[in-house]
Amino acid sequence: MYTLLIVQLAVSGALMGMVYALIAYGFQLTFATSKSINFGQGELVMLSALFSLTLIDTGLPYWLVVPGGMLFGVVLGLFVERAGVRLALEQKSEGWILLTIILGLLGFSAAENIWGRDDRPFPTPIPSDPVHIFGIDVTPLELSVAIGVLAVMGLVELFKRKTLLGKAFEAVSADRDAAQLMGISATRTIQLSYGLSGLVAALAGILVAPITTVGPTMASVLILKAFSVAVVAGLDSGFGVVLIGLFLGALESLTSFYLGSGWREAPGLVLLILALAVRPNGVFGKASIRKV
Amino acid sequence: MWKRLLLIRGAELAVLALLGAIPLLVDNSYVLGLLTLLAIYGILLIGLDVTVGYLGQVNLAQAAFLGLGAYAAGLGVAHFDFGMLAALAMALGVGLLFGTLLAFPALRLEGPQFALATLSFSALSATTLNEWEGLTLGAQGLQVSRPPVLGMTLDAPGFFWLCLLLLALVWLAMRNLLSSQWGRAFEALRDSPIATDAMGVGTYRHKVAGFALASALGGLAGGLYAFNFQYLQPQSFGYDLMVILLLGVVLGGRKSLWGALVGATLIALLPNLLSNRELFQAISAVGLLVAAVAGARGLLRKTTRPFQALAPIVAMGILMAGSLIVENTEDWRKAIFALMLFAVVVGLPEGLMGFAAHFLTKLFRIAPPPLPAAAALDVVLPRQAADGSALLELRDLKRYFGGVKAVDGVSLTVRAGEIHGLIGPNGSGKSTAVNVISGLYVPTGGDMLLRGKALPVGSLFKVARTGVARTFQNLQLFSDLSAVDNVMVALRGVYRTPIPLVLLGLAMGEEQRARAAALALLELVGLQAQARTRARDLTYGDQRFLEIARALARRPELLILDEPAAGLAHPDVNKLIEIIKRIHERGISIILIEHHMDVISELCSVVTVLDGGRIIAAGTADEVKRNPKVIEAYLGMTDDSAGAAAPALAG
Amino acid sequence: MNKTILAALTMGLFSLQAYAADTVKIALTGPFTGGSAPMGVSMRDGAKLAIDEINRAGGIQVGARKMKIEVIERDDEAKNERGALIAQELASMDDLSGVIGTVNTGVVLAGDKYFQEKGLTKIITPAAGSASMTQWSKAGVKDLSIFRFSADDGIQASMVVEEAINRRLNKVAILHDSTNYGVSGRDDLLNQIKSQGNKLQVVATEKFNIGDKDMTAQLLKAKLSGAQAILIWGIGPEMAAVSNGMAKLSMKVPLIGGWTLSMSNYIDNAGKNGNGTMMPQTFIEDPITPKARSFIDSYHKAYGVTRIPSPMSAAQGYDAVYVFAAAVKQAKSTDTHKIKDALEDLKEPVKGVIATWKHPYSKWDPANEQTHEAFRRAQAVMGMVQDGRVVFANKTDRQRLMKSAGK
Repeated sequence: MYTLLIVQLAVSGALMGMVYALIAYGFQLTFATSKSINFGQGELVMLSALFSLTLIDTGLPYWLVVPGGMLFGVVLGLFVERAGVRLALEQKSEGWILLTIILGLLGFSAAENIWGRDDRPFPTPIPSDPVHIFGIDVTPLELSVAIGVLAVMGLVELFKRKTLLGKAFEAVSADRDAAQLMGISATRTIQLSYGLSGLVAALAGILVAPITTVGPTMASVLILKAFSVAVVAGLDSGFGVVLIGLFLGALESLTSFYLGSGWREAPGLVLLILALAVRPNGVFGKASIRKV
Repeated sequence: MWKRLLLIRGAELAVLALLGAIPLLVDNSYVLGLLTLLAIYGILLIGLDVTVGYLGQVNLAQAAFLGLGAYAAGLGVAHFDFGMLAALAMALGVGLLFGTLLAFPALRLEGPQFALATLSFSALSATTLNEWEGLTLGAQGLQVSRPPVLGMTLDAPGFFWLCLLLLALVWLAMRNLLSSQWGRAFEALRDSPIATDAMGVGTYRHKVAGFALASALGGLAGGLYAFNFQYLQPQSFGYDLMVILLLGVVLGGRKSLWGALVGATLIALLPNLLSNRELFQAISAVGLLVAAVAGARGLLRKTTRPFQALAPIVAMGILMAGSLIVENTEDWRKAIFALMLFAVVVGLPEGLMGFAAHFLTKLFRIAPPPLPAAAALDVVLPRQAADGSALLELRDLKRYFGGVKAVDGVSLTVRAGEIHGLIGPNGSGKSTAVNVISGLYVPTGGDMLLRGKALPVGSLFKVARTGVARTFQNLQLFSDLSAVDNVMVALRGVYRTPIPLVLLGLAMGEEQRARAAALALLELVGLQAQARTRARDLTYGDQRFLEIARALARRPELLILDEPAAGLAHPDVNKLIEIIKRIHERGISIILIEHHMDVISELCSVVTVLDGGRIIAAGTADEVKRNPKVIEAYLGMTDDSAGAAAPALAG
Repeated sequence: MNKTILAALTMGLFSLQAYAADTVKIALTGPFTGGSAPMGVSMRDGAKLAIDEINRAGGIQVGARKMKIEVIERDDEAKNERGALIAQELASMDDLSGVIGTVNTGVVLAGDKYFQEKGLTKIITPAAGSASMTQWSKAGVKDLSIFRFSADDGIQASMVVEEAINRRLNKVAILHDSTNYGVSGRDDLLNQIKSQGNKLQVVATEKFNIGDKDMTAQLLKAKLSGAQAILIWGIGPEMAAVSNGMAKLSMKVPLIGGWTLSMSNYIDNAGKNGNGTMMPQTFIEDPITPKARSFIDSYHKAYGVTRIPSPMSAAQGYDAVYVFAAAVKQAKSTDTHKIKDALEDLKEPVKGVIATWKHPYSKWDPANEQTHEAFRRAQAVMGMVQDGRVVFANKTDRQRLMKSAGK
């Protein structure tokens, strides 16, 4: 009974951890090509989810809403790249940090006024009645999140390895200057990475919305955790985010049971600072040799 | 000189007097409340600017230090019956303590990782304040009473004057500190941590000090915050506030006390100003006008990119249109804030104050402060005995990277007063050897002795302190500092004033001496005319020479020059040879890594040739040039024709 | 630089300039953006509905002439610091007649001292935290310009505990969020359990943070300790996550909590899992009286919604304006001090959507906060969630209210 309890807690937490991982993966995509990340990624998640909700309200079937929402995410990602990132990268400044925060603020305010400030349910054809697997309660909804996360990460990785465009992506990630000498446009590739990152964020929003509900503040907590997962795993760690995401999610759930729910984030935070102090490039990140 | 002092100090005094006089002129508690907040935010942002501006790291913990300081002061009053000054001292101390603690794990981090570590700390401190109900009363909030100062009870204007006084003191102290070696070291750290260490300025010490200082100011501001609002809740010190503080620093302008003050003014006043619709329409109209004029000017003169000129116009245009359409501006406050910020950050990347400073400097024709006369070179760089005794000895030095044996058993001796050439084809291990000697890499095996004593291992900083200085193959200048400041950062044995005296502004004499010494070194490399030019704006050749001058500021016994001629045009190569000869005349021993064989032949008395991590030849330049092994290494074939090898070596 | 500050200051002062004094100026404050916005916006919109009605009828009769109401809105973002600054701003406006609003108890605690210092009349609604009024009785203030127009947490907690006792649910778990509201709600519940004779055994006390979506740990603890009911106190949609988590873990015990359970962000997001959840209410969006019908209809029409995000906040905002207007009329003045005196002794009953308010306040007595509280136990009823709406939990309450309105 007691072990079962721990497993139940761990599984519930870990499934939320998958969502952190997916958003964290979105950070990785842009970091790989441009060494920048979108600090307003949470707003991308939220705006895409709200847009998808509007699509549902117009009566579109779910299987059309998903690509529609993802397309919207891509558009937003491209907008962030154009308005908030490109100039700063051209000037080799860190202005992108502020500009992406600012664009996030704009998106948040727009969402509040366009869709209202209330949290709303997100209808989904996937049932939320629990099923019992090995004595543990999980909902098909939670499982769909896990499957969706792995599927989209797998597809993006496949795209990077198998297509010409994807290879250009990898080349720019490995060495931007060398790739440019080979005639690959870094700007285009960075654009692509922001588009993909927007797509991933939108999917995260659509997957998680039925569980978290949809509203302007839906992603504000998620995003901080996703950021932690990305950095602890390493911003170039690939699937490492999944492991860290699962771990962090489970840890939170167990902590709140054993230490008291108010402290649920504390051990994760302490671990995070320590992990960073020991491995600044992340647990699964590549240690870089200092060169001069 | 006097005009400059008069204008700048005059402006400071005028603003201080104006702010201080307002409560006497206007009897309005709201204006007073805003001004008090402005003063508190001023202190907070000056602190934040140390990390964000000078150290160049995105610090997301300042709001947490504000909170910790506020609670420390509040609890100090509640539990220990502290007076206000004692409570403020406690707030400052708590900021200092936690800042130092956080600095240790955060030390090794940069960029997003640093941001996250500080963010986690914020979340952790918020959780603790919220959960430790026994001490802080948690989410219920803590009522704080305003204790007397030295027995006097302060009314609202009195408290405002106290905040203003503290702001003025912080301003003075920070101006003294940031214009001293400390400020330069902070900036050096941001531009190149490696070079900072290699110049014997501890990155460790300075990063901790900078961060602790920023946190202490956060704590102090927190104490004032507690006595201003008299009610504290943990949630007030969260991510929202942090973002606003960060934006305040950037909007105002980084690396500037004035910038921090302008930023504080904006974040204190703007949210309250936007409540009025007519006022908001006026602001957006002015904003649109400014953006349009500035954008058009930038485009016509081609000083800005189209995006940089047009995006602010679009943003302000949306704002203008919105101000006419939207009835309830309160609802859109965040968007309004975002659009204004966007326009400023894109259009004026140096912040409002950075922009204004250029403008005002031109308007009042303020000249930069004059430079002192250069010191005598004999004082700055005393002649050393070139007695040919063994200076540096390497014994069977090894450095492996996994399976790659980059340096594989090198033994050599550098004698006092010689210029020792180190050559070899690409990948032969020259740079690795130098990086091991200078402490960047830990050797895998072998011994290194300087004047018979073991050289410290694996620490650029420690090696630099033994009297070994180096330059870098890929330039590692402090690119945002001026040429003279670059040299001043590295000066050895000049800065002796302890930090409390520096804060009091008693390091001026020392500063002048240091500047004079730095000018002497710039003269040595022929850069005296560019002393005030930012390093990044120098020509490539001058940047190389500046690195040499900077290394000389260490007054080294041994100077390591890592491919100083790489990428230099022909006249500059000749100039380089002249400079090295001048240095050599002063008795300084030099290890010279080079590809240019003519440079080696002209300068070096001894040449060691490396290939595959091992020494394949040693001797005079002429001897090694004729050595078949060397020829083979460079050409990849056995050919006894020295004539064929020479041009290849020269390339 | 000097110019920047001067310009900013003059602008700041400009915004304070008085307009011609032919209107009654009322400030509405609350969180209109951010997480608490549904309550703040509903309150504001309800209040503005009342103001529009009054203005369309020509305004308030102040002495010899009719004066329209002019509204000043301030968004405190649920942040204490903003709340304090806004309070300072409003307190420094010389021609302001009164302030209505504030959702978050923390903001009340940070800001109200400025109103009190100035003697500016304020009606708190819908913030319900007990500390909002007890801070003044504890300080022993003799003369108070702060009034409350919402059922305080003490009343609500007593109703919740009563309900659990009546249903013979002996073992209860308390769940609350980590905000001021949740924590003081927890304390109120524990106090009420004590004062009602310790008939309930609290088997678990658990907390959740704003934004938490996974309540498995907290619920498992409650479940393992054998709780027969969950008493909940929270401010936002996290409570829906509790209901959904209960369904997931097949916990079929009643959920009873504060009035915030009536907000759409709970009802919608909990969906069918929310059915049966009970909470005290002062207003239920059920057109049982003509007055309620016209209020609900005009709200829907004015703001283009089919359901009010927080009906209680809206109704309280609406009634608070009418009560305030009645005081202005009685005081025959826009002077805030005279209005305060009138509020403490309202002669004419005020017909509102929640009730007909007869002498809601009396002269402040630091020994009895009830003197400045409009709501009594009688104005509150138990509501229950049923298929996406809040209905009367007890039919008798509905009939009682219909009857009293018919009088």
